[in-house]
Amino acid sequence: MSRVLLLLSRTSYRAEAFVSAARRLEVDVTVGSNHGQALADLTPGGALTLGVGNIDRSVASIVRFASDYPLTAIVAAEDDFAPVAAATSEVLGLTHHPPEAVRSARNKAVMRQRLEAAGFPSPWFHVASVEDDAEATAVRARYPCVLKPLALSASRGVIRADTPEEFGRAWSRIRGILEQPDAVTRSGSGVAKILIEGYMPGSEVALEGIVVGGELQTLAVLDKPDPMEGPFFEETILVTPSRLPESVQLEIVSCVQRSVAILGLDDGPVHAELRVNAERASLLEIAPRSIGGRCSTILHFEPEATLEELILHHALGMPIDEYSRAPGARGVMMLPIPESGVLREVSGSEAALEIPGIEGLEITIPVGQKVVPLPEGNHYLGFLFARAPTSEQVEAALRVAYARLDMKVEPS
Amino acid sequence: MRNTTKSPVEFTALASETVLQFLQANEDTNFAVRIQVASPSPLDPRYEITMIEPGEKRAEDLVFDGHGFEVVMEPESVKLLEGARIDWIETLTESGFKVENPNLAPIGSKPLEGPLTDRVRQAIDQFVNPGVAQHGGQVTLVEVRDNIVYLQMGGGCQGCGMASVTLSQGIERILREQVPEIEGIEDVTNHSDGQNPYISASK
Repeated sequence: MSRVLLLLSRTSYRAEAFVSAARRLEVDVTVGSNHGQALADLTPGGALTLGVGNIDRSVASIVRFASDYPLTAIVAAEDDFAPVAAATSEVLGLTHHPPEAVRSARNKAVMRQRLEAAGFPSPWFHVASVEDDAEATAVRARYPCVLKPLALSASRGVIRADTPEEFGRAWSRIRGILEQPDAVTRSGSGVAKILIEGYMPGSEVALEGIVVGGELQTLAVLDKPDPMEGPFFEETILVTPSRLPESVQLEIVSCVQRSVAILGLDDGPVHAELRVNAERASLLEIAPRSIGGRCSTILHFEPEATLEELILHHALGMPIDEYSRAPGARGVMMLPIPESGVLREVSGSEAALEIPGIEGLEITIPVGQKVVPLPEGNHYLGFLFARAPTSEQVEAALRVAYARLDMKVEPS
Repeated sequence: MRNTTKSPVEFTALASETVLQFLQANEDTNFAVRIQVASPSPLDPRYEITMIEPGEKRAEDLVFDGHGFEVVMEPESVKLLEGARIDWIETLTESGFKVENPNLAPIGSKPLEGPLTDRVRQAIDQFVNPGVAQHGGQVTLVEVRDNIVYLQMGGGCQGCGMASVTLSQGIERILREQVPEIEGIEDVTNHSDGQNPYISASK
């Protein structure tokens, strides 16, 4: 029987989705994580504890493990483990994006440099260190611009600045975020860097795909109907299918396909974020992984399969070209954290679930826990899911249901 | 320090004799025997049996006189050692005290017995709960119906981002191995109500 090594960060939202997918495909599973599994001592071969920081050591651990439990595929659920998955797959000769491509795509600055060097349309950008003089850096910048700390993800610390004064305030705020313990860990031993790039106006969309032998197979284009104009860039609603004209969607696919080719991402999932302005698509970033959070819940395919099943299918060497997105529209709303404090209550859940089209609500932060909104925070309050015949109906259902929720946050 | 004669532990004749021989050889010192649970984990329960001098007794200790020598124990160890039997073993390669403690039987040491539901419950108690307890978790059997086991996860497991991994990679594999007629495992926990998950998902 085939065995897949699933690499899951200890705080992954995706554990259940990937484990369930592997079960449906009837493959043996080993879960590798930077978290010791509770019953690992009693279930040999079931779990592997790995670090994300020292790639060489993790690769050596997996290679040793594979001599006892041969692996057919290695799949990283999130960014953190993608370099380990890529490096080990290369050693073991398994299907995966190459390590260099993963490194380029994970680092927004390297990605911009490589795309620009290949003649890919790119915004103005500059990479600064947090130890640089903020005032001098602000003078060099062109406005409006967006500051993006390279060590962080999911829009955390991403701030728009329209003037040098706003730039200075954003810089100070990012410095504060980068001093938080988890951010220090993510930054590693080097000095934290900030990518400063020209703000790209327009609506935002996402593309979910799997690259097979260098060819992008687009699984879904997702609209983000809430304006993403800053100063912070909080993800809220994602709806698929996209309501953009077919020609624009083709432009989006083409843009992602070209960036995939330039970066050398040739076998594995990709998640791209783009801006669309005057029917022209511009790449914000592309990640060598699938969509984050619980958002993959809205991606269903025919013949019946989830996104995680398709990712495993491909990693195990099985074709995925017979699959297409299931009919109808689906959407998810990542519930924003309204203010800093302690979450005391989330009421209105039953009323929200009564809205036609609403299929589920998951509150992922326990009551009593401290919550922090963007740009400092790194959690969503939860996820609201909808399904309806059209994308308009899905979006409307999510908005009405969200309005019925009441989150009580008290100062901590 | 309180003296009593009703000892929670039993010494075999050989173990008693070994202690008495030591005491006779060191009769000037008035040694007592301290017994304590060094690690209560049923994954690997460990005990310490040492000879102590009178000055090493502590105020909270309980002292038992019924063995022909003094046995000194902390109140917490008394609870965990109630009914334990202490033997002395001597082989070609090792010698020492051996503790048989029904309260902390090592994992896998008790055969699973009785109807299916009883065996599943015993497997959870013996194999699963000692492991998940290390993460503040616990697993409770709700019922076994048509050879499907319905479980509820509590404590650190409830709402934990890794609960599904613990279930599929740990609990399910253990239960299927210990009780082969099981055909499936269902987690009926409301994970949204988890107040203190071991790990909260965030990415």
